[in-house]
Amino acid sequence: MRIAVCLKQVPDPATVEVDPLTAALDTRRLLYIASPADTAALEVALQLAGAEGHVSALCVGPPAADAVLRLALAAGATEARRLWTPFLPLQAPAQTALLLAAWLQRGEAPDLVLCGTRSSDQGSGQLPALLAEFLEWPVVCDVTQITLEGDLARVQRRLDRGAREELEVRLPAVLAVEAGIARLRHASLTGLMRAERAAIPVSELDDLGLEPADLAFPAATTRMVTPPRPRTRPIFTPDSTRPAHERITQIITAGVTRKSGKVLEGPPDQMAEVVVEFLRERGFV
Amino acid sequence: MAFLSKEASLALVQRVHRLIGIKNGSTPHGAPQPRRQRSAPRPGAEHFDVIVVGAGPAGSAAALVAARAGLKVLLLERGEYPGSKNVSGAAFYGSAILNELIPNWWEQAPVERYLTRRVLAFMTAETSVAIDFRTTRFAEPPYNGFSILRPKFDRWFADQAVAAGAFLLNAAVVDEVLWEDDQVVGVRVRRDEGDLRADVVIACDGANSFLAKNAGLQREFHAHEMSLGVKEVLELDEGAIRERFHLHDNDGLAIEYIGAITEEVSGGGFLYTNRDSLSLGVIGQISSLAEHRRRPYELLETFKRHPSVAPLVRGGRVREYSAHVIPEAGWNMLPKLYTGGMLVAGDAAALCFVAGLYLEGINYAIQSGMAAGEAAVAAHQERDFSARSLARYVERLRARHVLTDFASYRHAPGLVNSPRLQNLYPELIAAGAEQVFRVNGGPKRKLLPIALDTLRRANISPVHVLQDAWQAGRSFGW
Amino acid sequence: MVSIPLEERMRTVRFKVDDRPHIVVNAAVCNNCSVRACVYVCPANLFVPLDDGGILFNYEECFECGTCYIACNQEGAIQWSYPRGGYGVTFREA
Ligand SMILES: Cc1cc2nc3c(=O)[nH]c(=O)nc-3n(C[C@H](O)[C@H](O)[C@H](O)COP(=O)(O)OP(=O)(O)OC[C@H]3O[C@@H](n4cnc5c(N)ncnc54)[C@H](O)[C@@H]3O)c2cc1C
Ligand code: SF4
Ligand code: SF4
Repeated sequence: MRIAVCLKQVPDPATVEVDPLTAALDTRRLLYIASPADTAALEVALQLAGAEGHVSALCVGPPAADAVLRLALAAGATEARRLWTPFLPLQAPAQTALLLAAWLQRGEAPDLVLCGTRSSDQGSGQLPALLAEFLEWPVVCDVTQITLEGDLARVQRRLDRGAREELEVRLPAVLAVEAGIARLRHASLTGLMRAERAAIPVSELDDLGLEPADLAFPAATTRMVTPPRPRTRPIFTPDSTRPAHERITQIITAGVTRKSGKVLEGPPDQMAEVVVEFLRERGFV
Repeated sequence: MAFLSKEASLALVQRVHRLIGIKNGSTPHGAPQPRRQRSAPRPGAEHFDVIVVGAGPAGSAAALVAARAGLKVLLLERGEYPGSKNVSGAAFYGSAILNELIPNWWEQAPVERYLTRRVLAFMTAETSVAIDFRTTRFAEPPYNGFSILRPKFDRWFADQAVAAGAFLLNAAVVDEVLWEDDQVVGVRVRRDEGDLRADVVIACDGANSFLAKNAGLQREFHAHEMSLGVKEVLELDEGAIRERFHLHDNDGLAIEYIGAITEEVSGGGFLYTNRDSLSLGVIGQISSLAEHRRRPYELLETFKRHPSVAPLVRGGRVREYSAHVIPEAGWNMLPKLYTGGMLVAGDAAALCFVAGLYLEGINYAIQSGMAAGEAAVAAHQERDFSARSLARYVERLRARHVLTDFASYRHAPGLVNSPRLQNLYPELIAAGAEQVFRVNGGPKRKLLPIALDTLRRANISPVHVLQDAWQAGRSFGW
Repeated sequence: MVSIPLEERMRTVRFKVDDRPHIVVNAAVCNNCSVRACVYVCPANLFVPLDDGGILFNYEECFECGTCYIACNQEGAIQWSYPRGGYGVTFREA
């Protein structure tokens, strides 16, 4: 089993200090870590690959990002490679994915690419999907569990409100895991020393068969969508004329009456009309 | 390297042993230390000529010296990077020493300011009297001292050892030393496959000195032998620092405070100028903090609010808070400095000099680290790692005046922590000064009557004062 | 403002918390201790006396200074060690 893991170096949130007046980030005080969802992906990869497997750790980043690759080597990754170009724009999930895809398409392709579902800094969560798009592989995000059966991966993924979804994916695929599903092992001393001694190879655009122009994607328009805020509710004060136990109940429930649904009956046209009217009244359409 | 003759060095070693040997074997609870379980390294452990534990100033100096001599050196550090666990004031007075190792080191190292002004301030709750020493002679290379920030300095210094060929491994805690017969032959790191072999292990693991204790070279400490330092780095505009402290350029000052700054707790305070921040903190004897039930960070607050300190720190934003212990008892808590295959240097050997106006550990750490590195190199030249061969370390320490400093100041800690020196004299000096300076229309009085008058009011006999003066003379003067 | 509460001061310090504690306090010993040295000396205020006579200890924001075990004179009350390599406090300027 050959697995590639993509790791990103991010600022440790505990060291992010913003000047209250200028809102500027104090970069001199930052310390960097490997993004937690990515280290979870690494641990899952090491477990899935087992002793005979091959795990290669990849990171797109400047020389300082070697630290996360050494972390991976120390934990047991077979090899590590850093991809880098000074032409990389600052927040560039598409370009990052392009570099990774270019590397993965050279030589022997892995059976599986694992990464974190979203990084702990920008956290747009675009990378797994973009990478899969460039590779033309399937992708599953928000993964909480993976079991492999031949060239099939049985995957559980998290949905909203605690729901889970179970899927089967044919390999090769990109699976993006949640931060909480595994904790990276504490490296052995031998692993740590091997990682510290290793020279980390770097591939730049040339080695990847890319040109700076390939990174210049057509101008993108970012649309900011702000979901409507819930209407403010007046703060509830219990009715002082009621007996104590009723007031306590009122406080506990905060005076909220549970949401109640409304069942519509009638011909479809008419029901659609009522629903649209309902939404219009509340400003949604 | 010039060593003493074999006989001379043996005699010297025996003398030092007599001095050091006295208190070995006693523990705070009075009982002798149980002999610890000794383990041998597992087969297949990698071998190094020298393993240095701890990448503080002592460890990096030792690793640098040994690596320069061509030895295969491993420098183990438990933190994420060297300095990440380390706290000092810090006023570093070892510039000339470090210059021996790395000529013009200040041109490449992360230093804050060179110190041209030293102030010793005696405090009461409302008053302070200060001795202010300033010279431009300290503004010339190699400079007398620098203010530094340890996480930056230690990282740089360890990198120098790496440049000389040492292998630095971070995130590696050493839990114990490993033995074969009566010889230390390696260390055990708290990780899987954690055993390592070495001909010489140099323990530079700092004030808690766990490795020396593990090897039976050091006893457990009493709470009166250790102090706790708490410190803040306060961000302050460079211009404001120059103006407030009357500095010209990159020069700086160091203020040491004694007296009511720590209230009834034995200890003191310090304030050093960095480039765009101040380092300030208080130090309190641990037994005294516990006895008076004073919380260290409350003392720090009191210190910052003192009328003579408040205007200096006004407007500063707290950038970092930190704490660390300091071995205080000097000569009286020196461990046995070596055994077969092992040396102890820096704070781990209690080679930290703390007495009133002195708070010097970094310079002694570097010196003792260098001495240990030299001893390890010499032992390798003869391929003899026995205790007898490593006894050379003590010689090297003598040659560097390290042990002599500690021996000649051995009475200072007791005196400095005595209640009279801690609170009464600062009080007297301040009260006396107030009388001298107060203008209230009465006749001007001469100094001696004022002094005797103040003593009388404080209810101490002049005899005590003479005794203390003798003690002070013995401790600091001769 | 220069004077700040301890909690705010502690927020300036970076801790990489291990999931296993490096210091373990023995409740049985502490329940019979009247000195309570640890409560006063700890620079991070990690020992909190409880109403029932016990001690509440949290290891997460520890400076690894050693003051508590040096101050405590009760045999066996504090089992003290450094955290595993790479974990614990990381000073940036100290
Ligand atoms: C508040 C305060 C203010 C001070 N001010 C000054 C000052 O102004 N000037 C001055 O000269 N001195 C000052 N000192 C004293 C000075 O800090 C010490 O003397 C000096 O740090 C000693 O250096 P060292 O290398 O021996 O130990 P340390 O600097 O303590 O280094 C020990 C190293 O070993 C590592 N380590 C420990 N145990 C292990 C282990 N088991 N495995 C692996 N690594 C380990 C630690 O992480 C650390 O990096 C001050 C001390 C304090 C606390
Ligand atoms: S830790 Fe020690 S000092 Fe603190 S309560 Fe327990 S026994 Fe007492
Ligand atoms: S080691 Fe220091 S910071 Fe940690 S609990 Fe003990 S006294 Fe508090």
